[in-house]
Amino acid sequence: MGLSRRDFLKGLAVGGTTGYLTMAGVSSTVMKDVFLPAEAVGDFDIGECKSVTCKVISETSWFSNKVLVGDMQKAGGLLVNQYIIPWTNEGVKEGFNGDNRGGYSTLVDVELLDGTHKKILLDCGWNTKWMDECFAREGIDDMLKKKEIDMLYISHEHFDHYWGVESVLKHYPDIPVLIPKGFYKEGLDLLKGASFPTAKLKNDYPHTGKLEVRESGKVHPLFPGAASISFDSAIICRVTGEQGLVFNVKDKGLVAVTGCCHMGIISFLQEIKRRVKGGDKIFGVQGGLHISPFEDWDPQYDDLILALPEYGVEIIGCNHCTGYLTAEKMLKAGLPVVKGTARFKSKKPLFLGNGDVLKFC
Amino acid sequence: MISLKDHMWLDSRIMENRMKQPARGIVGLLFSFVIFYVLWYVFMDPRGILKWYTPQYGYMYVRWILIVAIWQAYVFNFWPFKLKFRETAHPLLTGAALVVTNFAIVGLVIWGFFYGFLGKFSIPYLSVESLEGLGFTNFYAKEYSSLAILMFAAIASWLSPIVPVCFENHPWQSMKQPAKGITIFCVTMLLTVLAFFVFMHPHYHVLFWPFQEYAAAYPWWFDFAHTLHGNFNVGWIMCGTVAIWMLELTFERYPFRMIKNKITRGVVGFFGVLAFALLLFFTLNFVQELAWGPAIDGAKRILAPDWRYLHSGELAIMMLIPAMVLNFYFDNGPKKYSAPVNIALRLIIIIVTTIIFHFVYYKFSPGMLGTQAAYSHPQQFPMAPGILFICTMLFHNWFMDFWPGKKLIGNKDVMLDDNGDEITK
Repeated sequence: MGLSRRDFLKGLAVGGTTGYLTMAGVSSTVMKDVFLPAEAVGDFDIGECKSVTCKVISETSWFSNKVLVGDMQKAGGLLVNQYIIPWTNEGVKEGFNGDNRGGYSTLVDVELLDGTHKKILLDCGWNTKWMDECFAREGIDDMLKKKEIDMLYISHEHFDHYWGVESVLKHYPDIPVLIPKGFYKEGLDLLKGASFPTAKLKNDYPHTGKLEVRESGKVHPLFPGAASISFDSAIICRVTGEQGLVFNVKDKGLVAVTGCCHMGIISFLQEIKRRVKGGDKIFGVQGGLHISPFEDWDPQYDDLILALPEYGVEIIGCNHCTGYLTAEKMLKAGLPVVKGTARFKSKKPLFLGNGDVLKFC
Repeated sequence: MISLKDHMWLDSRIMENRMKQPARGIVGLLFSFVIFYVLWYVFMDPRGILKWYTPQYGYMYVRWILIVAIWQAYVFNFWPFKLKFRETAHPLLTGAALVVTNFAIVGLVIWGFFYGFLGKFSIPYLSVESLEGLGFTNFYAKEYSSLAILMFAAIASWLSPIVPVCFENHPWQSMKQPAKGITIFCVTMLLTVLAFFVFMHPHYHVLFWPFQEYAAAYPWWFDFAHTLHGNFNVGWIMCGTVAIWMLELTFERYPFRMIKNKITRGVVGFFGVLAFALLLFFTLNFVQELAWGPAIDGAKRILAPDWRYLHSGELAIMMLIPAMVLNFYFDNGPKKYSAPVNIALRLIIIIVTTIIFHFVYYKFSPGMLGTQAAYSHPQQFPMAPGILFICTMLFHNWFMDFWPGKKLIGNKDVMLDDNGDEITK
């Protein structure tokens, strides 16, 4: 079938104009303003506190990236259920007594406006021998025995943040435990005293206290000046859900404290801005920011480093899964990353390491 | 003069239906799906045998399987297999022979050409071994090199079909195989390599630290795309691949087929495909903004600008699958109206089934395929299973003549003039 030049040009003009207008329309600000809702501003008042002090008990979740990633690869990749991976616990030169397993745990000490203190144990690490040593080093074991710690706040179900729960429960079996929604049966069973021989995991001290499961998409107030926000993040090794802490330090602004922040630090800050009163002033950030945990890289992480200055964060106390490479790039970009002392098997002073303390006040 | 059979063997096939619809369509679709599922379990599934879905490592093979199949059928017209073999052997035998050849070529290209040669002697990010030698863990050495290697195939699967689909192999239509295939291969691969260095190589400027400023340009798309990630280009190039295939399958080359001069048709077709691809890309980005809100600079996962671009490509692939199913298994209906009306109705069917498919995929893929739950996780990469399924449907069509639903009974006895127009029947 032929087509005259005139008809073709006519068709081309009509098609081209329609296509151009459609393209311009779907991507234009006008259309976005019509269809997309205006940005929400948070109005949830979490109260105020005087200061927040974060003591890094352990940020070295594992000692060799190569061994850890190798363990996951050998088991079938990053999607394999963490409870069936035979994690390496011997023969690792840079490990803790040859064990590659470490753990993440931070003590968050909040001074309320009346001068009293609330203590949150954010995560409980992985290898119980390593965690026992870290807890003893920082006096956490005594605090647990004396019930001076108000709650065990588990950021998410990952091995390096949760599997050292025995080290906490053996001192304080009825400690209130807060977890995000999404824990699998194995995780809940571990709390009750289950063991998982393949993963070299056990808990001989069943939890006898209150367990609170936090729904995602909400702000959960904890005490004056403190709240928790949960996310239904999907995470490697078949883990779902993560929660992060937010504090309102009087006259300073909000402080976001995270375990791993798989939801992404910018998503977390956006969520705070969207839900919490005063969310447009983020004073500080502390914890794992989950950017280059294995010293891997992706240009998306450069996007983050380029975007972060816009949030005006005054103190960044990152560590753990933030990755040294990220910290190095952040420092080069002029971001206010607090350096550490590289003690107790933390490898570099580029960010806060084991035993380091950061106070937001 | 050249016969249609020599020019484009696929177009000359005469096939007899051995079953009635909808049984023929359902049986054919199930046949392809079973092959897909077996291949997925053996090669990709993290709970399966080889566990190549990391995801980029497995996806690299899938992309190369697709482009090699396109070369086999469209560019080389099945050379070196004899027409007699294609016409007389049992479809399962021809299928097996052509699939094994396909896999062997893919292995040769990846293990031999990229890992053994190019990655060793030119650019380290094209070889796992070279990157490991520079200190990367095996996992990330695989992921980084796989993305680069697969992008050659991804760009080629957008550019290569343009010659047969838009230009109908002009100006090389009268050449004999393998000269014709080699010529088209060389021309399209030259363009592919150029496109790779413009659209993907800058991604590697920022992937490594310190930045590779002497070896690659800074990602030039950053200012308007709000990301340094090459996913911006991955997204629209995927839409380009889908656009060319939809022109072939859903639009049946309309309206470009009405342009008489083949070179003009080709040039207009190329830019038409590009415009369609960009329209698809921007529309799918906007659909995501409607669903999840605007992307946020520097954010991860569902809010990340680069993931949104990637997901536009993924959504386009999810659109291509129903388009292909409709064409291959359900006679590309409806057909009884004028071309524009038929196309509009097909598009409605495709869009509705794409929405259903999107829902079904994310609901069931973690259980069925072992992928990560959630939309935007790096380990949830629908293009890998999506394109593998497309490959199996192409195998079923091109290599097995839709056995058992159809049977090849002969070829059209048509001669073409120098312009590729029919002169005898």
